[in-house]
Amino acid sequence: MSFTARTLAILHKDILTEWRTKERLSSMVFFVLLVLLVFNFSFELGGFALHEIGPGVLWSAYVFASLLGLNRTFATERANNCLDALLLAPGDRGAVYLGKMLGNMLFLLVIELLSLPFFALFFNLPVGDYLLPLLGILFLGAASLASVGTLFAIMAGNAHLRELLLPLLLLPMAMPALISCVEATAEVFKRSRIEMLFPHLQILGVYVVIFTTLSLLLFEYVVEE
Amino acid sequence: MSTSGPDPILLEQVSKNFGSFLALDRVSLSLSKGRFALLAGSNGAGKSTLLRLLAGLCKPSSGRVLIQGADPGRTPTVRATIGLLSHQTLLYDDLSARENLLFATRLYDLPERADRVSQALLHAGLEDRQHHRVRTFSRGMKQRLALARATLHQPSILLFDEPYTGLDQRASDTLSRQLSDLAAQGCTSLLVTHKMDTAAQLIDHLFILKRGCICHDEPWAPGRAAELHAVYERHLEENL
Repeated sequence: MSFTARTLAILHKDILTEWRTKERLSSMVFFVLLVLLVFNFSFELGGFALHEIGPGVLWSAYVFASLLGLNRTFATERANNCLDALLLAPGDRGAVYLGKMLGNMLFLLVIELLSLPFFALFFNLPVGDYLLPLLGILFLGAASLASVGTLFAIMAGNAHLRELLLPLLLLPMAMPALISCVEATAEVFKRSRIEMLFPHLQILGVYVVIFTTLSLLLFEYVVEE
Repeated sequence: MSTSGPDPILLEQVSKNFGSFLALDRVSLSLSKGRFALLAGSNGAGKSTLLRLLAGLCKPSSGRVLIQGADPGRTPTVRATIGLLSHQTLLYDDLSARENLLFATRLYDLPERADRVSQALLHAGLEDRQHHRVRTFSRGMKQRLALARATLHQPSILLFDEPYTGLDQRASDTLSRQLSDLAAQGCTSLLVTHKMDTAAQLIDHLFILKRGCICHDEPWAPGRAAELHAVYERHLEENL
């Protein structure tokens, strides 16, 4: 059985389901826009303040939006016990994790890209100047949150207070990645040289590799219990 | 009936704890190839837990679960021989009938997917609704589709967990006919249901589970519904 084929089958199914229902994307995008709007009126961002507060505003919105999405990751699987069908299928169960993780990453990336023009508009950011390095940070940030968040989503999924449990598990664990995302974004807004970004991007890259590998190894044990 | 090779279903001294709650207590049972067994028991007796162990969906606290001689939790290929139909449909409500089956063919890496799915939909009598979302289906249609999904990969072992739940008489009869056909094809089947009259027409072996222990294990001649009721009631009343 092909691990990649099963991973892609699960990813395709998640995209198709989300395309039909728009359950996750709609709530996430409205949340992000609401946060950006509130911060815009609160801080009157622009100029120097953008470098100081902008990255924090942006990543606060993304991380809390990701919680909304992650909480729904296994909702469709729980609805009719579909998770049992996924786990009963032959092959490495890590494919279930990876398919779900890639779906979460993709949805978060979509939210980031959809909200970026609004961030630029609200905070007078000439987005074209920053776009390329910012895309790299957004990609790695989404991958970081999805890698650790997907595992915690299944762990919290069986708990009575899963909406409460997921942030309690995820936020402390995601902190190193979040700090790197915020600092890298600040460097971009300060128009620092590209070399200044590398340490943060390296941390994010290593974080994604470590947590994806760990989650792949642990997923089978988590779902069996 | 073949006597070669290991029994398709074998449990050896299997216990399962959930915290301090003992759901199954040193359960041992075996079912040889082609048999159709009823696993009866009151609510909370451990029937569904036993089926989940057989499907490799959870692992035993102690003892061994063997499907075709291998642990279904640790041996992924063995899981390809198992089909599971439960009162939950294991279907995605927002996908169409065809999309649900195509997804299953991709999970099982089956060849000739489109043809296989078309055949399954035809057999389930759902070809005219194949592009409709599952959430628009009646309970009976959902269960027919669920059976089509569970048997798409032609498993040799079938596990049924309360498959008649929510079905009207006509849908129950249709399902019984389909289960009977599958048994005639040589599948080894384990049925959990409270519908004794229906089960009596299908089974050739009876297990009764009581408080996590097997208290009755014997071959059963099909069709003796009244006797099946009597045996079951007798075990329920003992030690009350």
